[in-house]
Amino acid sequence: MEYLILKNEKVGENCYRLTLDFSSARHLPIPGQFYNIRCTDTMDPLLRRPFSMHRLTNENGIPCLQILYRVIGRGTEWLSSRKQGETLDLIGPLGNGFLIERRTDVVLAARGIGIAPLCAVAEAVRSLAPASRVHILMGARFKDRVFYQEELQRLGNLYLYTDDGSLGFRGRAPELLLHLLETGKIPRTCSLYACGPAPMLMELSTLSERFGFEGQVALETHMGCGFGACLSCAIPLLPSLIKKTSRWTKSALQWSEDGDTCYSLICKDGPIYDIREVDWDEWLA
Amino acid sequence: MSGLPDGSAQIGRLQLKNPVMPASGTFGYGEEYASFMDLNRLGAIVVKTITLKPRVGSYPHRSTEVASGLLASIGLQNVGIERFLADKLPFFESIKTPLIVNIGGESVEEYVSLARSLGQRARVDGLELNVSCPNVRKGGMHFGVDPEVLRDLVSHVRQATGKVLIVKLTPMVTDIRPFAEICQRQGADALSLINAPIGMAVDIKTRRSRLGKNLTGGLTGPAIKPMALYCVWRVCRAVDLPVIGIGGISSLEDALEFFIAGASAVQVGTWNFINPRITLDIIEGLEKYMEEHEIENLSEIRGSLAGASA
Repeated sequence: MEYLILKNEKVGENCYRLTLDFSSARHLPIPGQFYNIRCTDTMDPLLRRPFSMHRLTNENGIPCLQILYRVIGRGTEWLSSRKQGETLDLIGPLGNGFLIERRTDVVLAARGIGIAPLCAVAEAVRSLAPASRVHILMGARFKDRVFYQEELQRLGNLYLYTDDGSLGFRGRAPELLLHLLETGKIPRTCSLYACGPAPMLMELSTLSERFGFEGQVALETHMGCGFGACLSCAIPLLPSLIKKTSRWTKSALQWSEDGDTCYSLICKDGPIYDIREVDWDEWLA
Repeated sequence: MSGLPDGSAQIGRLQLKNPVMPASGTFGYGEEYASFMDLNRLGAIVVKTITLKPRVGSYPHRSTEVASGLLASIGLQNVGIERFLADKLPFFESIKTPLIVNIGGESVEEYVSLARSLGQRARVDGLELNVSCPNVRKGGMHFGVDPEVLRDLVSHVRQATGKVLIVKLTPMVTDIRPFAEICQRQGADALSLINAPIGMAVDIKTRRSRLGKNLTGGLTGPAIKPMALYCVWRVCRAVDLPVIGIGGISSLEDALEFFIAGASAVQVGTWNFINPRITLDIIEGLEKYMEEHEIENLSEIRGSLAGASA
């Protein structure tokens, strides 16, 4: 489907926010779902690029989809040069979204562009349970890489971090969360939503086990198609935990004959997973 | 006289209403594409390779993009014949398009067993033998690069099934023609080619394969089209069997090149991932093209390459 570009604004170092006229969309996404976007007029780059839905907005009465992205390669470079009035070819919404539940404390943990799918979670939590406290952990390697502070401040209590301490807490998201849990600023009964590099998510899963809070993660990977046909985006899950923890229908699981290995397709069964069901060690090996 | 151009294709005794089908491994079990198009419009549907037992497939980091191509190691992940028959085949009862099931095995016995199981199903119209999977340790490619092994395999499968039998050939041989000839002599009804040649891509920062532990993968997409076209042209001149051209087809123009080189039909692979409606676009484009160029029958184009003697 082709959608009209209303805006393509720079919102940070190498970061952009795209606003598309979504009045012709047949299906609207829920937070955590994604779109596979053609990022070329030629055969280079060949494949579509997956982007999570950032927010649904309304611009002067027009329902809009926003995509927040960082320029990291040829596809996103091309995307960043698109102008208002041009169109984009999107497939979606794809995948499963986050489960939004009533909780007194909700934690959104992101690193860099990982914040993209989480803003809509904050909005959904607010509309489901207005009394919920939303804690947002946002950071990057150093100060100039941190962006979107103003937007995030509107959505909840914002805690910033940088690896070098040039802004906010010195350290990474898991260390900041540990600090907030230990000092009682965030209760152990919180519910976590996280998106960022896999090692960060793996460390957050360790914290989730240690403190007993629940968590959902949005994963990203290279994809061929985005809709379950190419089988490229397989991720190993922990066989013992799939049945226990998963609250999503998983139609694309493939078990090994001995039952020791279970692969899931991120495009079809994800990109949202329970933080504890992913076999991080195997995936990062 | 209907006045409509005839774009049908004959694959063995299977008459396809048009010569366009998806390539195995790029179309899942069909249902993945049902929301994008009316599957009844396709000439045929070829499903992902089925093996006797379920296969979990290759390690993660299964694909990487290269110049005009996709390098992938999926490792024949599939649900296995039992679940295919129980869970996937019923979906095809709701559509009328001829169904071709691609099968793979680690031994002749496994192929024969699969051919027998599928042979009992009326809904299955044809079998395509995967003798050239680039990404499995046992079997796979082995069957397609050794003439004796291929002869034995095709002969046994032929005896085991009366279904239309297609053999999918690999370009990873010095000369593809003897392999095509063997298939013809052993009673295959058609050939499909090419399967993905093997390739590599290296991450220079980590000095690791961009396919992680899988190291190598099958190269597909527009990058392999010239090679595929060459193989199709060569095979069409060597055998009398209908040839289904596969390799990097992304448009009507690409498909026409294969018909001109001698192909009776085409399979579209990687481009399904980029445009899930591409098969339909080519079918509609071909109808229009034939009308505009006053081509009554596809055979007028087939094998019409000029200056092709010697």
